[in-house]
Amino acid sequence: MRLWGKIENFLALTGRKVIAFFSGYIEFQHYLKSIFNSFKSLKYLRLRSLYSTVLLQTKYTGLDAVFLISVVALMLGATVIIQASQKFPKFGIDSFIGDLLVLIIIREIGPLATAMIVTSRSGSAISAEIATQKQNHEIRSLELLGIDTKLYIVFPRIIASILSIISLVILFDVVALAGGYLISRLFIFIPPQQFLATIINAFSFEDLLITFLKSLMYGILIPLICCYYGFRPSTAFQIPIYVSRAVVRTLLSVFIVNALISFLFYL
Amino acid sequence: MAKRVFEIKVGLFFIIPIVLMIVFVVLKLGYSLSTDTIDVYLKIDNIKMIKDGTAVKVKGYDIGRVVSIEPVYQPELHFLVTLRISDQIFLNEDCVAVIQNQNVIGDAIIELRNPVKKGKPLQPGDVVEGIEYVSIEALLGDVHKLLVSVTDTVNIIKDISSDSKQDIRKFLGELSASSSTLSNILDDSQADVVKTMGTLRQTSETIKEISDELKKRPLKFLLKE
Repeated sequence: MRLWGKIENFLALTGRKVIAFFSGYIEFQHYLKSIFNSFKSLKYLRLRSLYSTVLLQTKYTGLDAVFLISVVALMLGATVIIQASQKFPKFGIDSFIGDLLVLIIIREIGPLATAMIVTSRSGSAISAEIATQKQNHEIRSLELLGIDTKLYIVFPRIIASILSIISLVILFDVVALAGGYLISRLFIFIPPQQFLATIINAFSFEDLLITFLKSLMYGILIPLICCYYGFRPSTAFQIPIYVSRAVVRTLLSVFIVNALISFLFYL
Repeated sequence: MAKRVFEIKVGLFFIIPIVLMIVFVVLKLGYSLSTDTIDVYLKIDNIKMIKDGTAVKVKGYDIGRVVSIEPVYQPELHFLVTLRISDQIFLNEDCVAVIQNQNVIGDAIIELRNPVKKGKPLQPGDVVEGIEYVSIEALLGDVHKLLVSVTDTVNIIKDISSDSKQDIRKFLGELSASSSTLSNILDDSQADVVKTMGTLRQTSETIKEISDELKKRPLKFLLKE
């Protein structure tokens, strides 16, 4: 009887999790549908009214993250070169270093690290901000004024996030390559022109396209998921829970999208 | 005013990365930022080592890169490689292109070389002949063949020296046997010499007796029946 009780509890727990997952999935689908429906009424919206929000979000998501992104990029570029210089043969590494940096930094780490920093900095802020606005009935007030809140809140954040992530990824790549080059000079001398030439040779337009695609996907995903969890809390107590959930699930989505894109284009 | 500064900062935040990316794309397309470029063609039979972006150099100095490779099917399959190079370097229309490796494991480069006798300058659209193809793979293949050949030679010498050693050993054995045979012969000869000397001594004694007899009674000796 006691064993049967444990089995029953386990089954119930599994059932609850599965139901929660699917109900969450369906709710997210409804949320996406409502966003797309809101975009239909974009033509009625004065873009001037969104300008300040886009500007402010861009400053917070992009401009304020430049220093952090630069430091992380510099360290990662240096780490890659240090590891390569230790593990790979010294002979001929000058022509190999460009390939290595393009392969690791530009293709994978650049977009991924940028997305992680943006998620942890801005994603959590977006969720917390929207959740607080909801608790203070600001969103209800906007709805009462007849303003499409999805359009007014989510759309400018998506635009700002896309623009910021594209700029940040480019900056990340440039700083990481420069950092990698400066560190590599401690071990081997590569003329700057030769280093640039190897990078240019190793980098293809396909890489550029994929980096853009990743940036675009992250730029859409991060604010979309974080806004969704920002709209969820019904009490002030739930705000940190949903903020944490927003960050974790956004990061998970970012990793999945990154793997999918790499799988589709490079495999 | 504060909003204006804020807008400028955000504007710069977008423009700087976009400019960096445009510069990168321009460089990737083979254009140079500091000098003007011209497009010339390289006619070559084999494009094994050449790809888009391969560096074009003169005396080791980077002057451009490969921007496209097109096959030409007639009269025989060959390739026209478009080289986007700086127009600041004087090149003759009779210059040649040598495809070579810049180091053992590095990418190939195209080295343009002017002929000794100067002629007309290279114009956009001119075709340069690829005269030589130094493949590091072929070179390594040759080195491999050479090493195999050297190994075979060393093995043969080893075999020969091994055989010779056996022959010398055999020869020494036979020499030793011959020496002992000679020694035996000499020993035997010594005994025979003593015997012969004895026989000779007896013969001489007999002759002496005959001689004495002949001296004493010559007629009797002669007429004796």
